[in-house]
Amino acid sequence: MFGFFARAAVGAWAVSVLRPVKAVAQKVAQSPVARSAREAIQKAFVTAQTPTGYDVHAHHWAMAIDVERCIGCGLCAEACKGENHVLKEPFYFRTWIERYIIRKPDPRSFELRGETLVDSPNGGIGGFPPSPVRKENILRTFFVPKLCNQCEHSPCIQACPVGATFDSPDGAVLIDKEYCIGCGFCVQACPYGCRFLNPVTKTAEKCTLCYHRITHGLRPACVEVCPTGARIFGDLKDGNEKNPVRVFIENNKVQVLKPHLGTEPRVYYAGLDKEVR
Amino acid sequence: MPPQITRLVYLTLAIVAVYFLARGFLVPASFGQYGWYRGNALKEIAALPIRYAGRAACAECHEEAAERLAKGSHQGLSCEACHGPGAAHAEDPAEAAPKPENSRFCLRCHEFNLSRPAKFPQVEADDHFPDQKCAECHAPHSPMQAPEDASKRNAKPVKK
Amino acid sequence: MPPELRESLLEALQHVQGYIYPNDVSLGWSVVIVVYPYITGLVAGAFILASLVRVFHVKALEPTYRLSLLTALAFLIVAPLPLLVHLGHPERCYEVMMTPHATSPMAIFGFVYAWYLMAVLLLELWFDYRRSFVEWAKASAGFKRLLYRVLTLGVEDVSPAAIQLDEKLGRFITVIGIPSAFLLHGYVGFIFGSVKANPWWGTVLMPIIFIFSAMVSGIALLMFLYLVISRLRRVPVDMGCLRAIGTFLLSALVLDAAVETLDWIHRLYEAEESLEVLVLLASGKLFFSFFLVQVLLGTIAPLAMLGATQVFKERISLRLQKSLYLVSSLLILIGVFAMRWNVVIGGQLFSKSLRGFTTYKIALVGQEGLLMAVVLMILPFLLLIGLVKFFDPWNTRETPPATT
Repeated sequence: MFGFFARAAVGAWAVSVLRPVKAVAQKVAQSPVARSAREAIQKAFVTAQTPTGYDVHAHHWAMAIDVERCIGCGLCAEACKGENHVLKEPFYFRTWIERYIIRKPDPRSFELRGETLVDSPNGGIGGFPPSPVRKENILRTFFVPKLCNQCEHSPCIQACPVGATFDSPDGAVLIDKEYCIGCGFCVQACPYGCRFLNPVTKTAEKCTLCYHRITHGLRPACVEVCPTGARIFGDLKDGNEKNPVRVFIENNKVQVLKPHLGTEPRVYYAGLDKEVR
Repeated sequence: MPPQITRLVYLTLAIVAVYFLARGFLVPASFGQYGWYRGNALKEIAALPIRYAGRAACAECHEEAAERLAKGSHQGLSCEACHGPGAAHAEDPAEAAPKPENSRFCLRCHEFNLSRPAKFPQVEADDHFPDQKCAECHAPHSPMQAPEDASKRNAKPVKK
Repeated sequence: MPPELRESLLEALQHVQGYIYPNDVSLGWSVVIVVYPYITGLVAGAFILASLVRVFHVKALEPTYRLSLLTALAFLIVAPLPLLVHLGHPERCYEVMMTPHATSPMAIFGFVYAWYLMAVLLLELWFDYRRSFVEWAKASAGFKRLLYRVLTLGVEDVSPAAIQLDEKLGRFITVIGIPSAFLLHGYVGFIFGSVKANPWWGTVLMPIIFIFSAMVSGIALLMFLYLVISRLRRVPVDMGCLRAIGTFLLSALVLDAAVETLDWIHRLYEAEESLEVLVLLASGKLFFSFFLVQVLLGTIAPLAMLGATQVFKERISLRLQKSLYLVSSLLILIGVFAMRWNVVIGGQLFSKSLRGFTTYKIALVGQEGLLMAVVLMILPFLLLIGLVKFFDPWNTRETPPATT
């Protein structure tokens, strides 16, 4: 009979043997020969770049959207594609603009609002055609810019199996395209439709808050070209009184998208309607 | 200990040892520097090329235009909103400067659209002097003013 | 970007209904990912059937015991292939094992898979076959002899005491194996059930639905294989065994249907924000694959047929009974595939804007095309033929039965 105690003894023995095995494995891996071999292998898999003089711990970037200022010109979406070399085809966007048209209710009903129409032809690049609904039938209509919400509790990071997408110390959710395996799980996990699989690089792609710009003292491309100041960008660790994001958040009641999902987005919207999701 | 057990334990240990050894070789060096990801990725992403130089870069050389812009109602605009991306030109002025777009471009923002905020200045292009170019009446850098010298501005009436 | 993909997406864009987020036009997960949970489900189901013999001493099922294990192994070996094929960078797949992200269900799946393959299935087979390996090694020569000897891991003791220990340890592994099989396929369910962004997937019942549908599909597969293989081997079907499988299949199907109905009742009663778009999905885009194939053909019809074999046991001919079993097992296999399709593809047909639908046109060729899916579905059967030839589950080599 192979009793319980025998089993427990084998278990304890296995554990006690495993520990030194792990230590030996680590020692072997750290030996000079192994190190040079490892460096050669890693060179084949990843390419390292020169560092920039930028302290990731000294910043925390945030973005806000003033819905009432957006005029739906589409310059932001266009600039984003240019700046980030996003595929030109109309199914890949790091940022886009939606148009909402809420009809007046049927006068015979007790409804407060009628049906909502939403569209985003080519993500809003090139502007929007005239409203398909006549003015007298519209209760309210507006544009809403969308981009990655850089969630505090991002479902995409949670889902990534290899650690190829991550929350940078300065508040941007980024993708390591040299490490991404292209499984697409993050695309499924994003509630906002902000990610896509690039069919050329075969890796996931999304808004980086123009990380290559903000780390060099520039604003994201979409913020740079927005003619009306509908996109507000700033550093939460910047104590300046005129810090645009701080001023905006202090002076507006802000909302985030799909708050019930608990993703804690770090893109704040002012003037959002309940129909926006 | 029965031989079945010992053989299996050795096999298990061998597999586990191979696993940890493989980890030692295959995990990138900067992995875990900031968190569960490759620390070098931050630098790689930060090092991507820039296409929009930013308003400050334009103002370094084009002082006059920047001043004019800062005084008019287009003061909130970035140069590159209308002129297009200019990083290559800013880096090397010999590179062709981005060209401002034509009248169609003004309409991207100012063509009437019901969904635009009502207070935003908009025109019905077909009713608002359809035969003229915008710049004949509106100085682009300060659109509430007439151009300083209309003849220099290449403004010719559009013939239909 | 590839021109044919561009064309197909432009066409899909023409057929978008309502408003979808612009990135939702293309489906990230295609038919290959439908095959993946289908295959892991068959593994888990086949293993559960085997464990009924070993752990719960269901003597009637003995003729299918070894076949069940080999089927589970054949399908388990193929199970990670659909995932691998679908990856954008298959050459980086080692990262899942090297730097597994602890919060990702997909990363942990690698370890669950390795555990199930090596700590459960291979071990159970090893304890079950060790004696046969020793005997076959003695009876053969050359490379085959070497192979069998390696497979014994050098343990060549076939004394009654050693065999008895094999039997005990094998049983112990099977006991561990049952929760492991549940874990394996529950985990696949969790990969979908944990996606809170997608209301069609993100339900706590998803792992449970996956476990029950796995049992249903695995048992149905074994019933189908048993009938077909008996025919091919020209041996009579053991009706006691077939009836026992039928009884378990009926019970599993009832449970499965009950849990899936509960899921719908729950959705309809809670009537969350997403209900409207989900009802439109089920009654529109998925009408054929959901109502007709999954519910009618894959659940109600086999329930009726299997029920008939139970109720009219004495009054219908053996031939008719066998036909009923064969047809219902096939229908169930098709129905469970439709269920996987409805989950994986259905969950991507509506946009997370909850305002519209995209379309999915299955590509014929290519990495994620129909042909690839067909190949991936045929592969485990070819593998099973090889395994059956090699492991000889019916002891045609005239060695005394190794176990039980």
